[in-house]
Amino acid sequence: MKPDSRLAGKLGGKDFIFTAEYLPLAGTDASFVEACTKSFGNRLTAVNVADNHYGVAMSSLAASVALNRAGIEPVYQVVTRDRNRIAIQSDLLGAAFLGIKNVLCLSGFHQTLIDCPQAANVFDIDSIQLVNLVKTMNGGLLLDGTKIQGEFSMLIGAVANPYMKPLELNILRLSKKAAAGANFIQTQAVFDVELFKQWLEAARKEGITEKTAILAGVLPLKSAVQGQKLLDTHTDFHIPAEVLNRIKAAGDEAAQKKEGSKIAIEIAKKLKAMPGLRGVHILSGGNEAVVPDLIAAI
Amino acid sequence: MIVAERKSIPELVEILKAHKKILVLGCGTCVTVCLAGGEREVSIISSALRIASKVQGLGFEIDEFVIERQCDNIFIEQAAEAIQKCDAVLSLGCGAGVQAIAERYPQKPVYAGLNTAFLGILEERGVWAEKCAACGSCVLDKYGGICPVTRCAKHMLNGPCGGSREDRCEVRPDRPCAWQLIYTRLKGIGQLDRLKQIESPKNWRSSLSGGPRVIIREDHRI
Repeated sequence: MKPDSRLAGKLGGKDFIFTAEYLPLAGTDASFVEACTKSFGNRLTAVNVADNHYGVAMSSLAASVALNRAGIEPVYQVVTRDRNRIAIQSDLLGAAFLGIKNVLCLSGFHQTLIDCPQAANVFDIDSIQLVNLVKTMNGGLLLDGTKIQGEFSMLIGAVANPYMKPLELNILRLSKKAAAGANFIQTQAVFDVELFKQWLEAARKEGITEKTAILAGVLPLKSAVQGQKLLDTHTDFHIPAEVLNRIKAAGDEAAQKKEGSKIAIEIAKKLKAMPGLRGVHILSGGNEAVVPDLIAAI
Repeated sequence: MIVAERKSIPELVEILKAHKKILVLGCGTCVTVCLAGGEREVSIISSALRIASKVQGLGFEIDEFVIERQCDNIFIEQAAEAIQKCDAVLSLGCGAGVQAIAERYPQKPVYAGLNTAFLGILEERGVWAEKCAACGSCVLDKYGGICPVTRCAKHMLNGPCGGSREDRCEVRPDRPCAWQLIYTRLKGIGQLDRLKQIESPKNWRSSLSGGPRVIIREDHRI
């Protein structure tokens, strides 16, 4: 059965697509649904719901279902860090039952880099194997060949870091994600537009953009300190010094946040003009309220 | 080899304080090579325990002994007399050695003096690094002789994670990214095409996930 989410429909069309992300909090407060409705509303095709991104938080499945019921189409994020193939397949069946139609497959930040460094990890399967697993489930089967009772259909997403070197290895891995069944790819934050362009061109030459829709990540930084922290703790961020200097030079907290959004808008506008790119994924996690202004300006 | 490192003296004192006659038992194999539990370390740890005993009034009587391999009954036999005489054994063998001694002497308290860390090699003077997770189904043939199960922090079997940059591992920036090594190595030996294959989920049954492991060789049991 073909995935029939709103995002799947958009991928089949020609429109430039906007997605954003919501990072669930460490709690049970339901007010996030209203806040997300206010920030995202109908401005976006879909909203990613992160899976214990920086530590323990409300499960991405529960938060995805809550947003779905409020009319916001979720992209249910699943990391392979915390669950083995038994738990992942079980949760995916539950997600399909509860009306979730998009899944993003990731390995997740290593637990030593987030708030639970003492936890054991799982990594029973890797992210490409997870992509392939969802594809198998879309074919009506579990990994061990068991037939799925009832319908199962998920649009499959994966992630890519355009700045991972060398380019040959980067593209090889991206190509595998597409071959494994990824319908769309959301990238890490783009700050260096020229380098991103080279990566996208390499992907296009390999025929990857024909097989999978690429959505470029755009991160509205809240402050220079936030940018520096991301650089210090996670090697998958590539933020040129001039970006941080520009935000720092903006002045106080409010001015820095404004400058961060301004930079994000400039980048998104350049990305929008890039042939082969299907959309922008706003990395709005923890800064969801910034989305309406961003979308209006892009 | 099996690589281990010494527990701290305060931790050892805490473990041993209920005993008086203590045998510090070294092992002449892996832990000697990785400078954790050989003759030299038996001597150093014994001296440190004697000093701690004197300072804290613990009344330790420390004996020292080293056998060639603590994981082998034939060699354990050589320590029989020394073990009989003591109240407790502080083994400076690896975890297998400690348990081999404990199994052989059910009435004798046997404690681990080392933290057994991994299967690895000496990379350079004073630096030991893990190379094998003993997963029980070796995949080195597919990855140019570099193990992603052991050396990739996420056990990725289909390529690097997004955190791999400038040849460093995101989790341990002082270590190389295993996937960068695999890529360079396979390219060098003309086998980069191997990476295009999508590797299926690994069967972990041969690893510790499958429960306690034993190898039975019927041809050697006659």
